[in-house]
Amino acid sequence: MNEGAPDMNDLKEQILPYRDSKPVGAPDFYLAINATFRFILNKYGAEGLRQYWADLGTRYFAPVSAAWTKRGLPGVAAYWEAFFKAEPGAQVEVKLSSDCVILDVTVCPAIKHLREHGREIIPRFCEHCYFVGEATAVPAGLTVRIEGGNGTCRQTFCRRDSNLPDQNLAKIKEASC
Amino acid sequence: MLGVYDFCGHYEWTFEWLRQRGGDSLVRAYWDEAIHQDAQTHASELILKKGFKGMQEYWGHTLAEEAAEYFTTATDKVFRIDMHECPSKGFLIRNGLEQYRDYCDHCMGWTGPLLKRGKFVVDHQHNHRGQCWWEIRKETDMTSASAPGQLAGHEDVRLRPDWKPSGKPMDTYKRANDSDDKSSKADCSKPGS
Repeated sequence: MNEGAPDMNDLKEQILPYRDSKPVGAPDFYLAINATFRFILNKYGAEGLRQYWADLGTRYFAPVSAAWTKRGLPGVAAYWEAFFKAEPGAQVEVKLSSDCVILDVTVCPAIKHLREHGREIIPRFCEHCYFVGEATAVPAGLTVRIEGGNGTCRQTFCRRDSNLPDQNLAKIKEASC
Repeated sequence: MLGVYDFCGHYEWTFEWLRQRGGDSLVRAYWDEAIHQDAQTHASELILKKGFKGMQEYWGHTLAEEAAEYFTTATDKVFRIDMHECPSKGFLIRNGLEQYRDYCDHCMGWTGPLLKRGKFVVDHQHNHRGQCWWEIRKETDMTSASAPGQLAGHEDVRLRPDWKPSGKPMDTYKRANDSDDKSSKADCSKPGS
């Protein structure tokens, strides 16, 4: 991040649309997120699960899209800085350049917690970062590409006119314990 | 990425997403299959193996992790929770999030089937302001819910001046273990009376 960036606590107040009174989320909720994906996958199949993720992006995360529209890529970087600061156990580097924001996730907090608790992770777990992220990004004129997964990945947010190749889902690794 | 910092927001949003696709029966199935039988298997292990002691262990850990303002009372016959500031309902209220008709039903929605497996029943009330109380007993114990203050003393949430909500019904469960076993009344009657 640029020098002179605001204090992270102030950043969270300004950037995250839904704010809690505690600084970091409860990690056991990752168990429920994984279970929710499994439930919807079992009921509605892969397309139903992708629709759920897309609906989350366009509806629940609509305030995030609005903020990204207003603030552009610096707003995207600020959001992810604040977001991962509030996720327990996350190790992520956020890099802002003139044409994109890159998230280098060295420790995914969700995969880490699910593994520590011996939970069966749905293989498609890491796809949610693409489908939720893309649905959030599109209204702001942005797009995301993801490479890796299963605990570490790179997520790149760029303007939609940057002519990135389409997301290759085969580049998103299946998750496992 | 979906995170846990705002988990209660997308969790509550998911209830309504499911209801619009499969009705209330799908929401009930979600609480039972995804939360009770999948996410919260650690709760089942503790409560089914250890009974009231397991409840103390489970809710002691999980409510502390969620930074709840609560008080528990445990004897060899009853486990009681007085929730003064529910962290998840409080999060929803503070952020103006209300997609589903009653977020609070999810607690009975997943704990009910679990407690039924353990042959427990629940007396419970919630006021839709992030305050509630629970008394869990063996189903063979026909004791009625306690009077305010009887079990939890001054920590009893029913003694709060703001316990009775204005404009919102008080939802009541008596000897229940099913999220549909509730009655909603604008004027709550005191349990045990």
